[in-house]
Order: sequence, then structure tokens, then C-alpha cells
Amino acid sequence: MQLTGMLHGATLLEHVDFPAAEVIGPEADEDEIQGLIDRHGSVFIKPIFKGGVGKKGKSGLIGRAGDLRTALAEKERLYFVEHRHGNAYAKAQGVTFEGAVPAEREVYFSITDSTVFRAPTITLTHMGGMAIEELDPKHVANIPFEALTGLKAFVVANALEDIGAPREIVSPLVQHLPKLWELFHHYGMTVLELNPIRMSPGPGGRLVPVACDFKCGFDRDDPRWQRLDLPDHLFAADYSDFELEINQLRTYQGQSDVFVINPEGTILAPTFGGGANSLVTEVLAQDAIISSDFGGNPPYEKMRSVARICFKHWLKQSNVLFVIGGKANNTDIFETFRAIADALREHFVQHGPTPLFVVIGRGGPNLVRGLSAFSDTLDALGLPYRIFGFDSAISEVVNYAQAVDRWMKAGGRQQVARSLGLADKA
Amino acid sequence: MYKKGIAAFPYYVGIDSLAQVATPGDRVCVLNILGSESRQVTPTSHAYSRGAVVFGTSPGRRGEVLSTKVGNIPVYDSVREGLDAGHTFNTGVVYLPPAGVRDGVAELIRINPDLRKIVILTEKVSVHDAREIRALAQSNGIDIFGGNCLGVADSWNRVRIGGALGGDHPDESMLRGSIAIYSNSGNFTTTIAQYLATAGWGTTTLISSGKDVYIHFAAREFAYALANDSRSSAAVMYIEPGGYYEHKLELTKPVVACVVGRWKSKLTRAVGHAGAMAGAGDTAECKEGWFLDAFGVDRIFTPESPVCSAKGAVVINIAHIPLALTRVMELNGISPDFAPTGDLSLKPWLANNQGLKLPPELDLATVEAMPPYNEQIRELRRVLGAQVPRRNMRDCSGATKMDPSTQITSVHGISVLDLALEPLEANFALPLVHEIAAENDRALLDVAVAAEVNLVRDQVILSAADAAREAGNAPNTIMAAAACMVGPRRMKRALDATRRLIDLFANSGLQDPRDESFDLSGIEISDDTRALFLATEADESVRPEAMLKAVRARGGRSIFLKFIESMGDHIHRDGILAALATTIAWGPLMRKRISLLTAGTLPWYLRLYGVMIGSTIPGHHHQRGSLWGIPREERFASWTVADLAFLAITGKKPTEAEARPLQVLIGLLISNGPGAISAQGAKGAVSADGPQTPERVQINKAMVGFLTHTGYSHGGNGFEGMAFLLDQFKDANLVDPHDPAHGLELKAMATAFARTYKTEKAQAKELGLGGPRALPGVHHPIFKGKPVNYDPRERFISRFMEERGDYNVFHQFYRELVQALYDVGATPYVFCVNIDAVIAAMLLALLWKDYKAGDISERGLETAAFTIFLYGRMIGAAAEIDDHINRGRNMDTRTPASQCTFVT
Repeated sequence: MQLTGMLHGATLLEHVDFPAAEVIGPEADEDEIQGLIDRHGSVFIKPIFKGGVGKKGKSGLIGRAGDLRTALAEKERLYFVEHRHGNAYAKAQGVTFEGAVPAEREVYFSITDSTVFRAPTITLTHMGGMAIEELDPKHVANIPFEALTGLKAFVVANALEDIGAPREIVSPLVQHLPKLWELFHHYGMTVLELNPIRMSPGPGGRLVPVACDFKCGFDRDDPRWQRLDLPDHLFAADYSDFELEINQLRTYQGQSDVFVINPEGTILAPTFGGGANSLVTEVLAQDAIISSDFGGNPPYEKMRSVARICFKHWLKQSNVLFVIGGKANNTDIFETFRAIADALREHFVQHGPTPLFVVIGRGGPNLVRGLSAFSDTLDALGLPYRIFGFDSAISEVVNYAQAVDRWMKAGGRQQVARSLGLADKA
Repeated sequence: MYKKGIAAFPYYVGIDSLAQVATPGDRVCVLNILGSESRQVTPTSHAYSRGAVVFGTSPGRRGEVLSTKVGNIPVYDSVREGLDAGHTFNTGVVYLPPAGVRDGVAELIRINPDLRKIVILTEKVSVHDAREIRALAQSNGIDIFGGNCLGVADSWNRVRIGGALGGDHPDESMLRGSIAIYSNSGNFTTTIAQYLATAGWGTTTLISSGKDVYIHFAAREFAYALANDSRSSAAVMYIEPGGYYEHKLELTKPVVACVVGRWKSKLTRAVGHAGAMAGAGDTAECKEGWFLDAFGVDRIFTPESPVCSAKGAVVINIAHIPLALTRVMELNGISPDFAPTGDLSLKPWLANNQGLKLPPELDLATVEAMPPYNEQIRELRRVLGAQVPRRNMRDCSGATKMDPSTQITSVHGISVLDLALEPLEANFALPLVHEIAAENDRALLDVAVAAEVNLVRDQVILSAADAAREAGNAPNTIMAAAACMVGPRRMKRALDATRRLIDLFANSGLQDPRDESFDLSGIEISDDTRALFLATEADESVRPEAMLKAVRARGGRSIFLKFIESMGDHIHRDGILAALATTIAWGPLMRKRISLLTAGTLPWYLRLYGVMIGSTIPGHHHQRGSLWGIPREERFASWTVADLAFLAITGKKPTEAEARPLQVLIGLLISNGPGAISAQGAKGAVSADGPQTPERVQINKAMVGFLTHTGYSHGGNGFEGMAFLLDQFKDANLVDPHDPAHGLELKAMATAFARTYKTEKAQAKELGLGGPRALPGVHHPIFKGKPVNYDPRERFISRFMEERGDYNVFHQFYRELVQALYDVGATPYVFCVNIDAVIAAMLLALLWKDYKAGDISERGLETAAFTIFLYGRMIGAAAEIDDHINRGRNMDTRTPASQCTFVT
């Protein structure tokens, strides 16, 4: 749940009265753009990406225009521009026009939780406008502070002193930066980054920090962000239909985290608990359709719903249904497996059988009753399977599941289909 | 602003040694002790730790208790109340929902000055709250474990605080030894302990750290406390990406670090562990590097490349931990704590190939599980066949299903269209064994059913059927009269014999019942068994011998037949039926596709099939050794069930060209889903007998239930289409309806009728009659509205017939008719020819020659149409009956009074 850009960033900053560059959105008409140019001398044209997208400037995705014609040309260039950074791909959905802010100095500022200090921590430099990791560490302050008292003016003042910041920017930053703690902490953020903050001369020559770019991430386990009345569609792009459906099952009683790794994958592996998820995701890699953690000890109804949704979206393309976990501590295997097996049975009833090999590896309370419920269902559905106890190494079971997948791809699927009377559906 | 703890840390840490993490002296208060998770977990923790939990809180539930094996734990509304009651504790355990965790921590800290440790189990605590919890604990000098963890445990002290490490049986995994475990995964904390035991390593302290953004007692604190714990000679750390907790660890004892999550870095969102999202410098690769540097090694340890130093090894596969640890400890001159227990190789506990041939590397044989699971599985294996949960089966079926969009019904997953293309005998077993019979089973089925059709030795049945016929009843009632006589007592011997065969062979290892080389020496034959299968002097001997001979003549193989033949020369007919039925049911029973109940009752259905077909042949045609003039040997040795059905309707053996349409017809009629009245009748009959006491369900009565729920409107109306066609063709000089060179002008006939129909329609409208007469076989409420419409079932059969070069003039007429109706403006678009038209066309074509020759009257045509419907539907009814017996509850088809309506 990340948000970048000034279109919404400026609005969020308004909540805490932090100055921001003037911005207008993709719907702006030519008169409005011209007006912005007239007021600020020039404008920056930036593509709007949903979610978190970095390194836009380095990729040539920021245009600048001093006249309307150039501004419109840049708009046309950037309106649907595509951007790839690391594993993230994004396509622009419009552009913003941001009034240029005259300044001699740029400041970088962020707040996040540091695992080094185990406290909220600011990162601050007066050498802003460039990648923070490229700066000499002596110019960068990383200062933890106490969460109960929050980011206080003295913390900012000390940090600026530590990095030798110019005198003229100290006072305005000490005055304005602590406000950002309010935005960060009280609206459920996990990161807030303003880069650059341009120190612009205000009335009387006193510098005013003006945020010219905005990036933040929200904690999806924290409902506080909903106080900001952000439009729902901002985060919709983060999730596929499948993920959205699963997410509706998220309750405090347990998590239902899913991520579609490969929509073309052939192993459907719902996992329970972060450990199993990591291991399975690691070993299956692209073979897996989803990476998931449905939490420990899901109740029957939740588990059946999760399985039902997984099957609805993915079973048809799956060669292997792979249910794997270590020796569960408190997950009732009978309840969990009965729920998955029932969902599988229901799926076959509603959508007809599909060629599938089932591989299971698990341990935990009520194990044999759970395995029995599952195997009975598979027997009745006519599906081949192997069920391993917790005395088989999980990683070996994962390898076995992959071997089954390879066999299914090499003709096994047709064999299973034939045995199910589905010769033409393999 | 933190309280001073151990000087080595720039923040508060109070725990100096791992021995202090979970001690016998710890006294615990559990917040939300009566929550669903705590209720399951806390009693085990309390018992394992010999009563460490002093009280719990659950607002509004003061005075309740959580009962455990070692006594009740009192519950209070709040911490203050518990303290006021005189309890003291130093450790808080938090099972509150995420939104309540911060307040719970504050309550523990502010109310109890003795507090030293908190374990937070809750998942999904917001980072906002975790920040404040951290600050609260830091300023008050409290060590926190979690959140999102499974707590801490100590194998030496037998103490478990918080979560469920070790599950229901902590002693199974937490064996006393010399290795400490620190794991980001709660589940893997236990799993690693269990894996270590396979190499002979036991544990000291186990810490499930959780993997939220904030880990309070993290790797650095663990490393420090490890160094000070004299019991621990080494540690295993299970580490995921995200966070700098493991950066520059000061490790003074050997460590095996399992670092996972390289691939996970491709994910752009956290899954499960909120803190497992890496930034630029804290990926899995980075963390591998941190540990490799710490251990002075340059590669990951694998069994093939066992790279390690005395300081440690890095693995990325949890299964490699035990070996890596052993190797590292060898370099330190330290031996395992005890002899290895178990191993981690692949051991399938349960398996089923479903008859598929798997490559050897996948075809792993089952391996006996460790105690006590082996005994539990043995118990499970003793249970033969599928286990199906019972439920209310009103308007439901696990056997048949009609797709509302295509109107195509399937039986055990196979569409009736496909069934229509199968030989009839192949379909006869489907309702019970859930599979279409293969060649060997078809041969056995032909003999089994053929042996029941001639009722001359079952005079009571024959008399009942004849009496019913005499009384002017329709064929359903005649069949019902006969079926009534095939009651439980008349079936007892065949059912007992079947059950005996199943019991005798259940644990014999027999997989393929066609395998006559199977070693029978291990199967004991008692006198009782012999008596069950052998005939006496008084019993008939010719028919059983003919059955055995016929099976051999057809090339049928059955180890069960061979087995009973080994008992003596004269086998009772019921014994043979049992052997044939058991052969057919064995595979699906062993594969758990069908239940023991189903396998055990198959002979009842087979006999009913034969008797019901037989009852439609008038009594005087049943003679000793012959049926309607056909000698027994011939029928047994070569006739198919379709031949018998044709004989019953026409008195003649069909040619192959005649038998095929009959087989298609019967196949199409097998089922219309559980909503059909016939199915409802069968299900109601089962429900009334009480499927929860299946031995009391009279399967013949259930068949009667189906039969009484058919009639002139349901089943008999196939004749309406025939009557319509007869009307159209009465003046035509048609000799062979299957001959395309029939010489008739079908288009002209259709157009003439269409014009008449259009006139009738206009008149009816003028007179306000609401519409013209119905056209049987034309139009369908689902398949309508397009310029040209088709019933997919009709198309399927048409295609099949075209492919085989089969022709049916009546069917062709219907196709001309729907076009003509549109062409003359009688219909707004081209209506479909529906499946009823196909049935009528095939029926009439089948009987046309007899009808034209005067051998069969119009009434006879109607009876024939109804009878053919019943032949098909009895297969579908058998599927519903068996399904309902297996799944249903007593009286589950009744309608609650609240849903019934009174009308005036």
C-alpha cells in the first residue's frame, strides 16, 4: 500500500499544514496549465503511477516545461508511459503538473522504523535531491527517537547540527519537520519520504520548506489510513481479483496473505505460517501459482473459504495441489484438512473434475484424522496422491511435488485426465 | 529514554542468559486466556510447565476458570483484580486481538511492578502499536518476545511460555540436549527441533522470535544470551529476509544459520511475516553474506558441498540443518547428545495411484509411520472403502447432476450423452462402482443380469408380475410388483456371500480381482463359508453351471469365482452372483472410490435389474431353459443386456443395427438429475427407511419408490412424440425408417404441416384459446431466442449417428419441420428439435416394422416407450438409491411444516 507523487501527497501534507508545491492533475485544461506556468515560471510534468515506483527522474520520466506547448508535448509523452524498476512494473495513468519551486537548497527527509535502532528513525540531509545512498554518510543523519513522545524539534535541531547543515535552513526545518510525525504515526504509515524538500524563500526572505515529491507506505494491518479519505482505487492496482477476494477473509483471528507469483504456474500450494511460506516459495519459485500464508490454526469455515477461492481461481491450471507445512504447533490438522478436502469435493461437484495430483506433507494435532479425511476425499474423487508425515523433510517433499509436476507436464496430466474420464480436457 | 539493563546494549535488555528465558520459577498471567487460541494452547503449556500460569484475564468473565490436567486456572476481569486476589507473576502472555495488544501490554506494565517478560502471540499488530509497545517496554525495563510468535520454551526445565511450541505433545519434539534454537518461524522452531533429533541433537532454549517489523528479543540478544548459557554448546538460527537484526552478530559459539528467502525478494508485498520484506541491504543474499563472513566460509553448506567451519555453517534448506550442525560440531570435537532418532527421507504414509502407472521415482511405496501414528493409520486402513459424511440429502445428489445451462445430466461425472454411446452392460454397474465397466466386468455383468431375467424358477416373482399385468397396470407397476418380491430375505444369502468374500480378501493384498494367479493359499475356507457358497441337492444346479461356463466362454476372469470353485463342484447361484459382483466392485472399493456398503449391496441391484427386465416379459414366455424361445446357453454365452431388453420389448433378438439405437435411447434416459420425480421417489423411499441404519434400507422398495414415481406423464409421455410422428407418417409408404432412400418428400410434408399449424395457431388466438396444440419434440425453454436454435443433446446424438452413417427418417422430418415452421411464419425463429424428438424418432424407428406388420398396436407402442424409459431410469434410480443410502440422514427428504402451504 504505497503512494507516490504530489497529486495526493500535497493533500496529505495539508492535513499537517506542511507546505507543498502547487499541483494540478491530469484533468487540468490548458488554461489551468498556463496559469500554473504563469505563477511559477515553469512546471514539472510527472507521470502518475499507482503504488510505489522509484527512480523516475533517472529514467527520464520527469518533464519540465516553461511554455504550454512543451508542457502538452510532455503530457503526451508521459501520460501512459511504462516504467520498470527492479521487479516492479508500472504503467502511468495520467500526469501531474507541478509548479516549479525556486530554491538554492534541497533537503531529503524520511521517517521509518529502523531495525538497527528498533525505534522510529529520521533520515535527514541538506544535500537532498539525489539518491540518499550515494551521499557521503557524514552528510546524512540517521536519528532514532522515542515513539511515545514523538519527533520533537530538538531531535531535528540536533540532527541538523550533526551533519553541519547551513544555518538558514535549521530554523524552518525545526519548525516544520516535526509535523510530519503526526502524519506518519497517526495515519498508519510505515514510511514517509519527502525528496526533495526545496527550501524556497518566503515572505521576508525566510526560507520555507516546500515538499516537491512525496512517497509513503501504509501498514495494511493498521486501519488508521482510512481516516485520510483516500480514494479506494489508489490501492486497487496492488491486488488481483483473487487477492482481493482472499483479503476479505483477513480478520484479527488470522491472516490471509496471498501474492500471485506466477499466474501461469502449475503448482497450487496454499501454506500456513510464515516459515512454510518462505520455504515453499523459495523452492517452488516460478512453478508456484501463489505464495500464501493463511495463518496458523485457521478455523474450518475460513479455511474452506480460502480453499474454495484458491480452487476457483487456480485449480483448473494446476497439475499439483500441494498442501505443506511442518509439524504444526496449534493448527488442528483435522479441521484444516477437512475444510480443504470439502472445498475440493465441492469444487469438483460444481465445476467438474480436473486432472490433479495431490501431494501433502504435514504434522500436528489430530494428524491422522486429518490425513484420513483428506485421503478419503481424494479416494472418492479418484485423484492420485502421496501423503507424507512430518518425518519426511519438508524440502524433500517440495522436490517430490516438483517431480510430480514435471511428470504431469510430460503426459501424466493426460493419464490422470483419462482416469477421470476427461480424455479431452487434459 | 530507556531503563538501563545489560550494559552491552544501547537499549534495554534484561535477559542475560538463555537459561533465563523460560524458567521453572516464571509465573505467568495470560491476557484473553479464554480466547479461542489460548483455550487450546494454554492448558498444554500449563501442564507441561507444571502449573506456571497463575491466572488469566478475560473482561466480563471473572469467576470462570480454564480447566487443565493439572488444575483449573482462575480467570479475572483484569490484571489488577488478579493481583488483588493475591496472585503474583513476572511474565505476561498476550493473546489479545491486534487492536488490543498495545493496551494489554500497557496494562501488564503499569499494573504489575514485578513484571519482567512479555510474550506476544498475536499476529497483525500494527507497526504503530509495535512502536509504542517497544517504547513502553524500553522505558520500564521489560523483555518482550514476539509479536506474531509462538512463544518460548526450555527443554531442560520443561517450561513453555506463551504459544504452542511442540504442539500438543511438547515432549515429542523438545528433547533435552545442547542446542539452542532461534527462529523467525514459529512452526519451524518445532520442526527444527524435531529434525535435530534425527542427528542426535537435543535442545536447550527455543525461541520463536516472530517476524514482524519490530522484533524485540532479536538475534543480537539471542547471541548474547547464548554466550552466557552454559547448557548450550551451539545454536541453530532460522532467518528470513528483512531487517538488520543479524548484521554483525557477535557469535561466540558455533551456529548453523538457515537463511531462506532469496526468491521471496521478487515479491513486492509481504506475505505472512510483515517484517520479511527486504530493502536494498537486508535481502536473503545479504544475510547469507553476513553469516558466511561471521563463520569464515565462502559457500552455502549442502550435503554435496559440506562447507563449514568450527564457527558455523550457512544452509538454505531446513533439511540440511542436522548434517551441517553435526559437521560443525565435529570440528569442535563435540558429539551428538544422543543416538539419532528417525530420519528425514521421503516416507509416504498414505498413497493411492488410482490405477495409474507412475514412473518409479514417483511411485513411492507407503512406509510405516512412527508410533503412535502407525497404529492410527493401521486402524484407518482397516476401514475398507470410501467414508462419506452424512448430510441432509433432500433435493441433493452426490450421484447425478443436471447442468441447467445445457440440460445435460451426468451420473458420477459422466454425461448421459457419453453413457448413451456405451454398451448397456457397461452402464449397469456405473451407479454403484462409479466407473464405466471395462471389458472383463462387462462380460461378468452380462452373465450376472442374464441369469436373473428368466423368472421361471422364481414363480412368486413371475406370478406377481403377471398378476399386475393382468390387472391392467402400466409397466412400472408390473416391475414394482416383481421388485417387491426381491426383498431382504430373498437377497440374504447373496449379500452374506458378498460380505464374506470382501472380509476374506480385505487384507490379502489383492489389488486386481482379474488376476487368477493370485495366491489363494492364505485364504482360509471354514465350513461355514463352504456352506454359504455351495449348493445342496435341493438347489438348482443347471443355471449355476451354465453361468460359470458362460463366464469362461466370454473370457471373463475372476479370482473370486476361482476361489469359490475351489470349494466344491456345485456352487450356489447366489455364491456366483456374489463372486461376480465382488469382482466388479473390488477395484473401486480398494481405491476407496466406493463404500463397503455399496460394494456389499451390488448383488441386490444386479438381481433387481434382471428381475425388472424379466418382469416385462409375459409369464408364459419364461420356460425352463429358455426365454421367449431363446435357449439359456445362448443367452448366457453371447447375449448382451441390450439384446435382452430388445427381446423383452419385441420378442426378438436384435441385429447390431437394431440394438445400437436401443442402447443409445436407454443411455439418454438414465437420469435427469435428483430433481426428477423418479429420483425423488427413490430418495424418499430410502429416506423413509432411514439411511443411518443402512442395513434396514430395502433397496427393492427404493426401486419401487422410483417406479411408483413414474407414470403416464413422467416416462410414458415418450409416446406423445411417437403419436405425433405416427400422425404425420400414417399415410406415407414408409418401409424402413433407417433407409435414406425412403422416397418421401419430407420437406413438403413438413411444410404442409407447418401451414396447417400456422392456421390453427391464428384461429386459436382469435378464439382466445391461449395457444395452439403443443408440438412434442419442438422447442425448449432454455435453447431459444437465437435465429436458429439447437438442443445440444440432439446435436450430440445427431453427430454420433452421422458419424456412424445411421439414418432416421423421423429425426430428419423433425429437422425439416422446425425450418418449415419458421419459413411459413408459424414461429418467430427456427425452434430447436429437442431431445424428446430424438427419443420419439428412435423409438418409432425401432418399432416401425413391427407396427406396420401389425405385431404391435398403438397401445403396445406406448407400453414399449414407457418400458424403455424404465430400463434407462432404473440405472439412474440405482445411483440415487445408493448415493442416498451412503450420504443421507433418516427422513431427510421431508419438508418442514413451516415450508408447507395450505391452499383453499
